[in-house]
Amino acid sequence: MPGRAYSDAELLAVLMSREVRDGEVSACGALSMIPAAGLLLAKALHAPDAELIILGSSAYMPFQTSRQFHYLCQRGELGLFFVSGVQIDQYANYNLHLLGDADRPSVRFPGGYGGGMIYYAARRTIVFRTEHTRRSLVEKVDFISAAGATPPDILRHGGPSKVLTPMATFRFDKDAGRLKLESVHPPYTGGEVAANTGFDLGDVARVREAPEPTTEELRLLRGGVRTAMIETGTYADWARKTLGEAPAVPA
Amino acid sequence: MGVPYVPVVGLVGSSLLKRRDDMKICVDPFDGKTRSVVAKALRPDVALFHVQAADPEGNVSAGYPSDNVLLAEASRTVIVTAERIVERVRERDAMGSFLPGIHVDVVVHAPFGAHPAGCPGEYGPDPVHMAGYVRSSRDDASFAEYLKRVVFDVPNHEAYIERFVPKALAGRLQVAGD
Repeated sequence: MPGRAYSDAELLAVLMSREVRDGEVSACGALSMIPAAGLLLAKALHAPDAELIILGSSAYMPFQTSRQFHYLCQRGELGLFFVSGVQIDQYANYNLHLLGDADRPSVRFPGGYGGGMIYYAARRTIVFRTEHTRRSLVEKVDFISAAGATPPDILRHGGPSKVLTPMATFRFDKDAGRLKLESVHPPYTGGEVAANTGFDLGDVARVREAPEPTTEELRLLRGGVRTAMIETGTYADWARKTLGEAPAVPA
Repeated sequence: MGVPYVPVVGLVGSSLLKRRDDMKICVDPFDGKTRSVVAKALRPDVALFHVQAADPEGNVSAGYPSDNVLLAEASRTVIVTAERIVERVRERDAMGSFLPGIHVDVVVHAPFGAHPAGCPGEYGPDPVHMAGYVRSSRDDASFAEYLKRVVFDVPNHEAYIERFVPKALAGRLQVAGD
């Protein structure tokens, strides 16, 4: 993004790191490069006692089998989870399965059971999308991989907390069962966010700006986090390319 | 586990639940109020594993952590293909996960049995073959052609190795076997 001293991926990793709480178990799924960087940044910066699970890695995977991870989630011991959705709608439903008619989809995605369970079992889930357009943030998803809201008598340990994109942060309003625009990410404005979002955001004129990544956050992300990812083989190529090539931040 | 069904926290309100008849929403029998999904047990007729080493009794060393013990327990018939047949696989020597022979019905010696995927610790995926597989899977006609060439027209496993496993890999097997 021109006008920013950091990439979209770096911004999202920093915003994700700020959601991690010290002492809590936080996890991200397979092929989740940005959340993996965010988790490691939090651990390096403000959450030294966070327990990290990066599925698909060997360095940050405490379990032998997925059954162990499944039951950790089912017990309600997972504090924070990150998931991406191809489509995300105003009710915080996300779609990671298919586009079009379910019987004759135009595109199929990996889908998966994991997110459909974790969205209800983790205390908080952050949904993210690197593309903020009207085709990714929609009124209603084509297929609900996991639902934002459920009736009150359904056993559920947690649910959606926020939705993050390069342009904005949305907060899930549990009472209304809807996403509300929480902040915009400079230099984007509320108007630009509304124009690129497929559902109504109400009055966006007075929305606040999210604090930008600090020098310290970016230095750690491009330094220690990048090194740790490369050395442990945790999305090493991605870290080398994404966190290494950005312009250096002045001290 | 052997139980007929298991409760699951999750999936309520998903489109997946609407399309599956093996998952239902039920009331907690103890509190009489809370509802959650119960999933019917999966009992596969046959499970197939490809592993690094197995012995004639069916004890298996699968050199990576996995859920294969769970899958083997659930399945009525378990067939294991192995890179190597060894005299004896003991639990303490197994890499990653150990599958006791009591669950295994058939052991087959099949070097490169994971090709064109990889076998951890033995060989990686074959990217050239994989790219061709992805290309041919774009439509039914080209995929049928792929299956004919790579599966149906191949008389046996030796012929498969000869035709499709890269020579550099196949050569390594010879060295390892010496």
